[in-house]
Amino acid sequence: MSYNQTPLYFAGVDIGSTMSKVAIIDDEQNLRAAVVGPTGAEHRRKANQVMIEALGQAGIPLETVGYIVATGYGRLNVPFADQQVTEITCHARGVMTLFPEAQSIIDIGGQDSKALRVGNHKVLDFTTNDKCAAGTGRFLEVIAETLDLPLSDMSQISLKSSRPVQITSICTIFAQQEVIRYLSEGTDLADVLAGMHDATASRVVRMARRIGVLPPVVFTGGVALNPAMVKAMEDNLGFPVLVPSNPLITGALGAAVIARDKYHQLAARGRAPAVNARRLEEVDLFGGGAGK
Amino acid sequence: MNDKPQGLAAARLIYQDRTKRVKELKAQGRKIMGYVCLYPPVEMMTALGYVPFRIFGRYGEPVSAADTVFTPVVCHFLRSMIDQGMKGNYSFLNGIIGSHTCDIGMVAVHIWKDYIPEPNFVYFIDVPHTDHLPAQEYFKRQILDLKRKMEEFAGQEITDSMLADAIALHNRQRQLVRELYELRKANPSPLSGTENLEVMVALCSLPVEEGNELLQQVIEEVKERSREQFDERARVLVWGTVLDNNALLEVIEESGASVVIDDTCVGTRAYWDDVPIGGDPWEALARRNLVDLKCPRTYRQAAFGQLKRDYDTDLDSQFAYLKRMAKDWQAEGVILQSLKYCDSHGYDVPGIKHYLDTLGIPSIYIEHDYTEGSLAPIRTRIEAFVETIKV
Repeated sequence: MSYNQTPLYFAGVDIGSTMSKVAIIDDEQNLRAAVVGPTGAEHRRKANQVMIEALGQAGIPLETVGYIVATGYGRLNVPFADQQVTEITCHARGVMTLFPEAQSIIDIGGQDSKALRVGNHKVLDFTTNDKCAAGTGRFLEVIAETLDLPLSDMSQISLKSSRPVQITSICTIFAQQEVIRYLSEGTDLADVLAGMHDATASRVVRMARRIGVLPPVVFTGGVALNPAMVKAMEDNLGFPVLVPSNPLITGALGAAVIARDKYHQLAARGRAPAVNARRLEEVDLFGGGAGK
Repeated sequence: MNDKPQGLAAARLIYQDRTKRVKELKAQGRKIMGYVCLYPPVEMMTALGYVPFRIFGRYGEPVSAADTVFTPVVCHFLRSMIDQGMKGNYSFLNGIIGSHTCDIGMVAVHIWKDYIPEPNFVYFIDVPHTDHLPAQEYFKRQILDLKRKMEEFAGQEITDSMLADAIALHNRQRQLVRELYELRKANPSPLSGTENLEVMVALCSLPVEEGNELLQQVIEEVKERSREQFDERARVLVWGTVLDNNALLEVIEESGASVVIDDTCVGTRAYWDDVPIGGDPWEALARRNLVDLKCPRTYRQAAFGQLKRDYDTDLDSQFAYLKRMAKDWQAEGVILQSLKYCDSHGYDVPGIKHYLDTLGIPSIYIEHDYTEGSLAPIRTRIEAFVETIKV
């Protein structure tokens, strides 16, 4: 297969802590496939499965993919990628592709949250939470498990609140105890849940304000699918946020856009990667596989 | 021709086992004086024939013994240092001189005094937190008190000429270190940040004469390195708390950056300024360690007692040296790093960030906790920071 064969596609593979995402675009940057699958303990090394599904959705063979960029927490577990780029750069690129006017991005994922200031196709500044579940999707999951409620119900009930309670603890475990205490005192469930969403949003917004937040703000990550969180975020910021139709895929999309750039840069110098050398194999974490 | 390791290889061996050489010297009858942070004047130790040995914690070793005397929410470096003391790993020292570097540093010295039987000589030197003239005078009195206590302990007086000789040796070391750093102005730098740190750690684990000899070898070795082709890596300045271990610098250099200059205390801070010679040497020591030595634990106001709000002038009086460093070493970004719970460094971060922003130099602030485990989430942030510089 030669490099100048058309059409060419580009893929971004985003292995997050909870979900694995693949985006495939064509040379005009149209999205041809967007697949989201669980990461999990076993799937961590099975980025190939999500990729195979995405290739199926796009209806293309692997050999037509000119360049692949891996990103996210598990970016080193993608043996068929040509390059690794951090999720911070990829998210920014994906969001700026969808919303060129964006100035700030807030992303809340399964295990981390991040805030970025962007402009001129560049990341101007960014910050991330360190290693605490508060202010991440994991916090919402812990509360949902405690209350034995599906996440979607939790969000809908929360939206009915008229007087949200104040959750003051910033620690997930203490906040969980606070939620239980409110409920045992007979506080309305909607008000407790609204308070919990508010506490999460408030924590992330405070983190974002350390680097400055300018509208328009784009809210991404799995947690942006939760309408109660979108409302809490808007309440805390004091203005509306933009949410992409598929807020989970922005990192993978950005990785695909970077892959396209990279391919053209290399091709211009006659150094495009050999596309037929790739193998869609599982990663063996105990020797061999990626990085070996 | 002897086959003893020379230069960088010798530095690495000392870095990997820093007490080996001083223990050898001790067996031969030399006396070893431990010191905490940069405030106790090493020249006084050298003058009395002690080998000055800087006390660190033990990076990555879980703290167990110190948990009974130190809460976990304090500086992990000092916690680890006390832990090592309590485990008896510093019992080979003849004495220890600690200082009021910060509040936890002050407490740590006294915990050492109260809980760790060896060594018997533990001195605490008070250090003012500003650099005004009255503070300098006070600090000089502290140094003179230390002089009396050390003389009593050693059974020997420190004459002005003994001190002058020691100052000359240490100034020579500072000059050599600056010469080594000068070589890193080249692009690409012929010496990595991790190699440099190994040399710096070796220097504070050796008698000053041996350190100077090592430095000369290293400088020759680095000068002979052939220029590699153009380095695409981002040149960065690393600012912040004590780095006595390479783990963080490795993460930075593996992320596509090249550490070309630092503002840390096992680096430039220890060696950037000479002790002025010619005048009263005791006053010179006080001035050099309080005024010239730049650690955030000392606050530098633009003007003493001024009521006017002048944030920019204050920032410039505190951080203009960083601007010069960044410019002279062509740093494209600054990595501000701090051990968790370091108030002294933490409080300076918003000011430095603002200052660097106004200069158009990108920066990132990271916190870690004296273990490699704490570096895992930091790796992505540093890689992303390098990506933002290189785009």
